[in-house]
Amino acid sequence: MAVLEVRDLCARYSASGPEVLKGISFSVEADDFFAVIGPSGSGKSTLIRCINRLVNPSGGEILFYDREVTKLRGRQLRLLRRDIGMIFQEFNLIDRMSVMDNVLSGRLGYTGNLRTLFRAFPRDDIQHALNLLDQVGLLEFVDKRADELSGGQRQRVGIARALMQNPKLLLLDEPTSALDPKISREVMSLIKRMTTELKVPCLCNIHDVTLALEFCNKIIGLQDGKKMFDGPAEEMDQSMLDKIYEMEVL
Amino acid sequence: MNKALAPPTAAKPTVDDIIRSQRRTRYARGAFFTLLLIMVVWSVKVTVIDDTDWARIGSLANVLKATNRFIGIDFSLFPTLIGPAIETLMIACLGTLLGVILCIPAAWFGAHNITPYKPITYPLARLMMTLSRSIHEIVWALFFVAAVGLGPLAGVLALAVRSIGFIAKMTAEAIEDIDPGPVDAIRATGGNDFQVVIYGILPQVLPQVLSVVVFEWEINIRRSAILGLVGAGGLGLVFFRQMNTFNYHGVTTVILAILLLILLGEVFSYFARKAVI
Amino acid sequence: MNRALDRQPATPQREWSRFKFPGSLIKYGIWLSILVFLAYTVKYLDIPLDRLLGMFGRLGSTLANRYYPPDIEYIMDLDYLEYVVETIQMAYLGALFGLLASIPLGWFGSYNMTPSRLYVFPIARLISMGCRSVHEMIWAILFVTIIGFGMLPGVLALTFFCTGFAAKLFAEEIEAIDMGPVDAMRASGANLFQIMLFGVFPQVRVAFTGIAIYTWDVAFRAATVVGFFGAGGMGWYLKRNILQIETERVAAILLSIIFLVLISEVLSAWARARVMKMK
Repeated sequence: MAVLEVRDLCARYSASGPEVLKGISFSVEADDFFAVIGPSGSGKSTLIRCINRLVNPSGGEILFYDREVTKLRGRQLRLLRRDIGMIFQEFNLIDRMSVMDNVLSGRLGYTGNLRTLFRAFPRDDIQHALNLLDQVGLLEFVDKRADELSGGQRQRVGIARALMQNPKLLLLDEPTSALDPKISREVMSLIKRMTTELKVPCLCNIHDVTLALEFCNKIIGLQDGKKMFDGPAEEMDQSMLDKIYEMEVL
Repeated sequence: MNKALAPPTAAKPTVDDIIRSQRRTRYARGAFFTLLLIMVVWSVKVTVIDDTDWARIGSLANVLKATNRFIGIDFSLFPTLIGPAIETLMIACLGTLLGVILCIPAAWFGAHNITPYKPITYPLARLMMTLSRSIHEIVWALFFVAAVGLGPLAGVLALAVRSIGFIAKMTAEAIEDIDPGPVDAIRATGGNDFQVVIYGILPQVLPQVLSVVVFEWEINIRRSAILGLVGAGGLGLVFFRQMNTFNYHGVTTVILAILLLILLGEVFSYFARKAVI
Repeated sequence: MNRALDRQPATPQREWSRFKFPGSLIKYGIWLSILVFLAYTVKYLDIPLDRLLGMFGRLGSTLANRYYPPDIEYIMDLDYLEYVVETIQMAYLGALFGLLASIPLGWFGSYNMTPSRLYVFPIARLISMGCRSVHEMIWAILFVTIIGFGMLPGVLALTFFCTGFAAKLFAEEIEAIDMGPVDAMRASGANLFQIMLFGVFPQVRVAFTGIAIYTWDVAFRAATVVGFFGAGGMGWYLKRNILQIETERVAAILLSIIFLVLISEVLSAWARARVMKMK
């Protein structure tokens, strides 16, 4: 069964603006680590953000576990987002909160307003957070403030926060482009290891083709909002890459 | 940011540790807010419950009735408002200008990179700024009314003195932040201190200072509109008269006129600041 | 003319003049019109410029003869000190209630976080602008007419004033935040309240504390004089003594106001420095 099925997705920034996505279709299966590649400005980030509706698509359908989600609003939309974890390029941690509170914030979709006010998360959540922090190797940093950490460490907190949601799908929006190559690889393999273990399918928007080919099993290539390639990673070759990145080569 | 952090030596935390430390933060916060609340209760008791003549206020309906008297506009007042409105505006302009002139020495002394003799002039300027800012314009106006008599002059002086603090403080900060390059360049060509100020410092800080002055002017309109209450001319005097003759619709009219004046000032200052920067 | 310069080989003639045709004309025109306007203003307001210079002498002698020595004993009286405490309480309540009211107002009036840009945003902005534009003295007079003399109108006047004052600054702070954490909270399925608590509040907490201290300064400064129009506190003492021409007492009261405001400023400067260090 397809976890996520996207049909003819279109999106634009403003009601009268140009289309950023021009009818994209693809589907993500339960054990996929799915990569979206393409030159900058090709609509990768918009595509990812349409899935959890941080950007509202202007047309097309998104089926998440066979449920149409492009028209959801209010509580239903929050319940959808709760099921989809997201890891950001700029980490988007809450700088002035501790690592623990940052990880726990992934639980907000499950938490009531009163508990949020007093930051009184249930015991199970704290246990879960500690386990995740242990797995990403940051257990000693629980009480550190997020802005005291290095880039790689911050992204690890981001991973723990996203997995805290017990997501049924993980969105990765350029998770490594703010990191140096060595740390990038570490972070990617950490994500790969943990999502395989937890059986969470991933949809990853990535700039670095080498990383995409190394970690992902399926790839779609975007150029100027249109899909240029869709297939297993093994089928991706240099001529196809040249075609996708044509704009940048010229 | 990227420097490696030495892992803290503490033992691996358990759930109970976390919950305990969270509880401690919550209690500390609770204690702080309780203290705040106790002070509120005490203050409310003293100022609101004991001091208020509840019998006079009567019921909520009475209060609403009293408020209701203000709803309405006295159109007959319009012609008599124009003169005072212009007067208010002019008091604000002159007050701001005089304030700018007065703040030159304050800003010069108060910027620690150009102050002539730091141990004395710097604290002197700071004292000037603080005094000017910390005393309410009504008090300044009372003071100048006593000194130069009733009339717009007292208002102008009050606003001027009240403006020194803010303008001088912002100007001094702007001077402290300048790029020392041009200053060195002027010095290198053999310029004297005055030339350094005119060619090295002034061009760098002028846009910021002008925008601060326009901002202060905008605030001074708001202030000058009430100085008439203590006899320093402008719309405040009309307001006072309407209040004393219990012409409540007139009061509302004057307030609306003041709001209109402030709005005009805000629009003007928005465009002026855009033009400056 | 310098001879050495004259003898230099002729270079193609380049003209440079400080005066550029339309630009400079407009510039000087603006300066000239400002000057004319100022001259006209002085005339319109009937300001006796000749008296301005003599003012300082007279000011000095008036101060020396009538306002000196300040009647310090008068302000050491227990009755007066009680009024000082009440003034502080009034400022405290006004600032606190104003700050409480301005948190939602600042939120609704911030373009990036407002629940509805079409309805809530303009209404919140309008309320905060209205509160801010009406001078605190006018608020005080209005409330005195509606509910009579006392501290309550003072507290209400300060509340309204502080609401407008702080709401604008709060809104500006919220508009300056990094939207990244907000996106992250939205993506995790948090509701609007939770987004505010986790995505926005930690980012503005320090700035808010600074604004709160600043609001207290403004509120206390105003509280010392709202009594002038019957709204309680020290201002009422000031008014009574001015009316009775007790100049030495007036001097003492003014001194006490300056002293208290200075102390409050020093304390809040210290508090602000500490808060900023906390980051």
